[in-house]
Amino acid sequence: MRIRKAVITAAGGTQRALPLQTLIHDGTEKSVLSILIEQALTANIDEICVVVWPGDETRYAQAAGSHAGSVRFVAQQHPPRGYGHAIYCARDFVGQEPFLHMVGDHLYVSTSKPGVQRLVKLAESESCSASGVQPTRESLLPRFGAVAGRRVSGRTGVYRVDTVIEKPTPTEAEQRLMVPGIRAGYYLCFFGIHVFTPTLMDLLGRMLADDPNHSVTLSAALAELARQEQYLALEDTGRRYDLGARYGLLTAQLALALNGRDRDEVLTHLLELLAEREMTPPAGGKE
Amino acid sequence: MSQLTDVITSPDTETRNRSLDALCRAATLEELQMECDALDRFRRSSDNLYERVRALFFLYAIHRFHIPSKALGTSRALIPFAGYTNLLKRRFEEALDIFLAVQAAAGPSAALSSALAAGYRSLGFQTLADQVRRSVRSVRGNRWMFRAAHPEDAPLRIRPELLNRQAKDQLFPVLRESTPVRMDLSHSGWSDIFFLGMDYPEGARVLNISIDLSAHRGDVPKPPVEAWFRVIDQPVLRLVSVDLHCSADLGSIAEVFDFAHDYLGLLKAAVIASGIVPPGMEGATQPLTEVLSHLTGLPGHGIEIVSKVNDIPRGSRLAVSTNLLACLISLCMRATNQIRTLTGGLCEVDRRLVAARAILGEWLGGSGGGWQDSGGVWPGIKLIHGVAAREGDPEFGISRGRLLPDHQIFGPQEVSPETRRQLQESLVLVHGGMAQDVGPILEMVTEKYLLRSESEWRGRGEATLILDDLIAQLKSGDIRAIGALTERNFNGPIQTIIPWAGNLYTDTLIRRVRSEMAEDFWGFWMLGGMSGGGMGFLFAPQAKARAQERLQAIMSGAKREMEHAVPFAMEPVVYNFTVNEQGTQATLLDGNAALMPAGYYQLAVPPLLRMESRLLSPMRRLELEHFTAACHTVPEFQGMVQHVFEHLIPQSAPKAPGSQNLDALLEAHGFDRQEHEQIQADLRSGRVGLAQNRLPISSLITDVGAGDLYDATTGAAPKYHAIGKEALAAGRVAVVSFAGGVGSRWTKGAGVVKALNPFCRLGGKHRSFVEVHLAHSRRTGRLSGTSLPHVITTSYLTHDAIQSHLAAERNYDYPGSLLLSPGRSIGLRFVPMERDLRFAWEELPQQMLDEQAQKVRDSLRATLIGWARQMGEGSSYTDNVAMQCLHPVGHWYEVPNMIRNGTLLRLLQEHQSLKYLMIHNIDTVGADVDPGLLGYHIAEGAALTAEVIARQVEDRGGGLARIDGRARLIEGLALPNEEVESQLSWYNSATYWIDIDQLLTLFGLTRDSLASPEKVNAAVRALAGRLPTYITLKDVKKRWGKGQEDVLPVAQFEKLWGDMTSLAEFPCRFVAVPRKRGQQLKEPAQLDGWLRDGSAAFVESLCDWE
Repeated sequence: MRIRKAVITAAGGTQRALPLQTLIHDGTEKSVLSILIEQALTANIDEICVVVWPGDETRYAQAAGSHAGSVRFVAQQHPPRGYGHAIYCARDFVGQEPFLHMVGDHLYVSTSKPGVQRLVKLAESESCSASGVQPTRESLLPRFGAVAGRRVSGRTGVYRVDTVIEKPTPTEAEQRLMVPGIRAGYYLCFFGIHVFTPTLMDLLGRMLADDPNHSVTLSAALAELARQEQYLALEDTGRRYDLGARYGLLTAQLALALNGRDRDEVLTHLLELLAEREMTPPAGGKE
Repeated sequence: MSQLTDVITSPDTETRNRSLDALCRAATLEELQMECDALDRFRRSSDNLYERVRALFFLYAIHRFHIPSKALGTSRALIPFAGYTNLLKRRFEEALDIFLAVQAAAGPSAALSSALAAGYRSLGFQTLADQVRRSVRSVRGNRWMFRAAHPEDAPLRIRPELLNRQAKDQLFPVLRESTPVRMDLSHSGWSDIFFLGMDYPEGARVLNISIDLSAHRGDVPKPPVEAWFRVIDQPVLRLVSVDLHCSADLGSIAEVFDFAHDYLGLLKAAVIASGIVPPGMEGATQPLTEVLSHLTGLPGHGIEIVSKVNDIPRGSRLAVSTNLLACLISLCMRATNQIRTLTGGLCEVDRRLVAARAILGEWLGGSGGGWQDSGGVWPGIKLIHGVAAREGDPEFGISRGRLLPDHQIFGPQEVSPETRRQLQESLVLVHGGMAQDVGPILEMVTEKYLLRSESEWRGRGEATLILDDLIAQLKSGDIRAIGALTERNFNGPIQTIIPWAGNLYTDTLIRRVRSEMAEDFWGFWMLGGMSGGGMGFLFAPQAKARAQERLQAIMSGAKREMEHAVPFAMEPVVYNFTVNEQGTQATLLDGNAALMPAGYYQLAVPPLLRMESRLLSPMRRLELEHFTAACHTVPEFQGMVQHVFEHLIPQSAPKAPGSQNLDALLEAHGFDRQEHEQIQADLRSGRVGLAQNRLPISSLITDVGAGDLYDATTGAAPKYHAIGKEALAAGRVAVVSFAGGVGSRWTKGAGVVKALNPFCRLGGKHRSFVEVHLAHSRRTGRLSGTSLPHVITTSYLTHDAIQSHLAAERNYDYPGSLLLSPGRSIGLRFVPMERDLRFAWEELPQQMLDEQAQKVRDSLRATLIGWARQMGEGSSYTDNVAMQCLHPVGHWYEVPNMIRNGTLLRLLQEHQSLKYLMIHNIDTVGADVDPGLLGYHIAEGAALTAEVIARQVEDRGGGLARIDGRARLIEGLALPNEEVESQLSWYNSATYWIDIDQLLTLFGLTRDSLASPEKVNAAVRALAGRLPTYITLKDVKKRWGKGQEDVLPVAQFEKLWGDMTSLAEFPCRFVAVPRKRGQQLKEPAQLDGWLRDGSAAFVESLCDWE
């Protein structure tokens, strides 16, 4: 199996400006979107589709910068019906091929081999869907989809997924998502990078048609996918940054800088900031 | 090789189930000691929890029942104080090591065995409770709650449906949960106790039925417990109990864990057990704001949880509190998405989750029900049964069974709709009015099960067969046969295992119902742990209406006859009921229907109306608008405006119940206001108080020597018998029974006439204390050939009840003269001083409770100290029924009262040869006029001879001591420190022999001057002045609502008879008597051991019933 295509979703109603934000990466100013596109390209992806809010195509094309020519922009159909629906909007682009999927409101930073490459390689060698996962503290469960699975013997960090639950409560997680070898209180939650076989599009299509008045989550379709075919999870050791969280963009910028060639410069700035603050006497204090 | 460790470890079921009693009966003392050594080694080394527990209970039983029954010779050891204090602190292992070391050095003794028995038993129960707790924590779905320790960790979120206001002028939706309660057709000998289910899953089976109730004729039965949940626009956790008229806005995490602060403990337990504020956060000091904003996703918002129990009082035996807890937990778990469905019923997985959390909640609240109790969550009729632990279960390898049982719901094919209908048409469900603590019974069952007592094991086997028959009859639809079986269960296995499950009241009801309803009465049905409260009676369907009517009359009549003797909490009730085929159900109320129940607004609206409207939150304002509209349109809210209006009008302070006759009572019973005010002033200024009761620390207090008392533990010398017999035959002795008390400890402050309490079945009938003592005197009279005069001293609390009871029973046909000596002294209780409460709770050695129960108790004590401050420390206690405000002023006054009220004069006039009195407490049931002891008293020429018994671990409260060179009795209250008591070998059994003339001389009186009231009064006042006044704390119950009770500590003063031995001019002797004679029955929990160790048989041997 060879993976040539990638789908980036950037359509979330309230957060659609996030991929357009610019950050400085190795001295160059880039949009979040173009950083994601570059990460996809390092995994030998040939074609990229970005699902955007209707009317956002031009702004996104600008944000894609030099990559704009090789990226297709698809507007999510109205009314929007959830995350699953956003992915489904790329069905024509994907056709009957497997594809890489990344979310547009996260940034991934890795000190070793990028997670995207490892995941694509795993999916290609096993010819199946695969998702990046990371052990996540149970207090963060309300923010993620989580998987239950078993370790694949002889493969470090690889799991065969049994089921997927969207934003489980810790009660449900403890009953259904405990994975041997993972610390108590931690669960394998999605990292935001996936490789899917075309089966996923069929499942999403069926679910959207079956229940035309409700949203469809990706997790619901993935739970069904795990029942139908082999579906793997790969533990990612990198860090993901939720740009929508409080100070998310700032944290992502710092992480990016500290992981790149400007590390020393940024660290120096930070230390100066801190030192200055500590040395300044409190207001009204005596010398 | 130890035979008993073999019994514990044997793979063979028959060997494992062998009875300990049977094995020990034939063993010699040496063999028992060897077995004890082997068992103690075994329990320290075994990895298996249940083997360890069984070994602990074996050790307990050997030390409690078997070693003391073997001849222990004269070896007498003191119980080391260090061991005793370790027992109180629940450091059982350390206590046992200390006792064992002393035993190794000094040899076995009854005293040490009593201490060892207490230690082993407590350690056994602690080990079992710890295991249940571990299992509850390790159930999947519960574990995370113990990890979430910081508000940032709070991982639950409210379901979006509950945040969805349909329009700006709408309220947040309200989620309502309604849950039935459960009744059990049979619990197979209390097999739903967790320990039993986990050790013997195959024998743990309960037939459990979910029911709806109504307490009023004509009302349609509905689920008796309900709860409501909604988001509010204030950052607080608001808890409201509609039926307990109580609400609180909690703002900090610590307040959620403060269970006994108010009446909202159950709601708090539900908030914790449902994970909203998970148990891992206990001890956190943060405000709740952060948890609530995480939960709701809306800063500045909080939640409100409301509970309501519809007209069911406590003690209903229908597991109301567990089902309310389950109802609240289910509601909170639905609201936070932990349960799949927001509305409607629950699926099996979710029901089990709720049940597991309810067990957790019960543990948190310091209570503990059985595993069948949350049965109301399930629908209809079901068999709940234990399940063997399998690999993968957290219990596997630890206990034989799982913590949570399985529920097999009977469908219409198994129990037909027709049978269900017939059951409803036949069963009359009642609350008999008694509200008793079932805890001691559950402990007895556990203990007997682990020991495989022969009768218990036989009973358990029979109960299992009865349950099989019940299932068969349910399936075949024969309700009459079911009635026969439930009654057979009650009369057979239940009372074989625990005789105390029945009582005279229940027996009377059954007898009268049978005599009135004859063939139409199909059988009695005990519900839950014991009878007297919730009970069932099965009738032929055509007779049910009449039966309901008659039962109400029979119960009310029996209650009227017995209410002075038996603790009733309320007027008996007959319920209407239907089987609930849905189990717990939830509904979402939104739009205009998003309101709380009407009762909630009665509580909530008046304070809101008193506030300035600008201070109300926008939601509260909106809610008032909706409420006003609902008052015009919603039938449930009709009449609410008037209710609320009435609450708004200032009313004169409500009179405390019974306060109108308090003054009259004080007047009638000779209340000395001057003395009261003096003591009040002394109490407030700190001149008297618990700390001031004590002798000066410089007093030299030592144990008495052999020459200080006469040892009659194996019987008095024949020469004394001869003297005593002769005095008896000559009519020189009379008996005085002290019966002024209301059994504070016996009924935990409920206040019944203890003398009249039918405490035990003896000679084939329930007998009261007074009847037992009259039977002693009857027998003594018969043996000596003269009838023995018998005086019963009474108090304002007991006089009328005893008088009318004896009249109704025609003095039990007592052949001799029987006189009542009414009390002539009375006190008015005080609100306690904070320093006395702190002294009692913080400085005196305390029995620590199990960890969680202790937390609840600490929180309660803080609240009680607040109560005392608020009521005014040292003020007169008048905020209760009059009888609970008054107090008897100590048994020192009993004999002086006989002098004052003319009883002694009359006795001496009627029996001119009378020279001696034997006086005793009503609960010293082994005390009779023993000729040997009487002979000793006469031969010694003593003014007073006091009986003492060899001290065992439970004997606290002073004893015989040598104080500054004189042998005398000392009260526990007066000991300068607690350690002194452990050095005293002898405990005062409060039975005294008195030489009447020497006593009169002490008072400065003669037989002739008894007729002069002035002389008598002056004499009594003069002597009273020479004796110490003690301040004590007593628990009184204040009843309110539907069988609800508060237990409050109040202060009172007393003078005690034992202090007569401190008077230098009064020659006293002391005599050691056998324990069976001197033991006093202070708590019902003592009864089972008293019955099993042969004491009851001993008492019976001293009785002539006819």
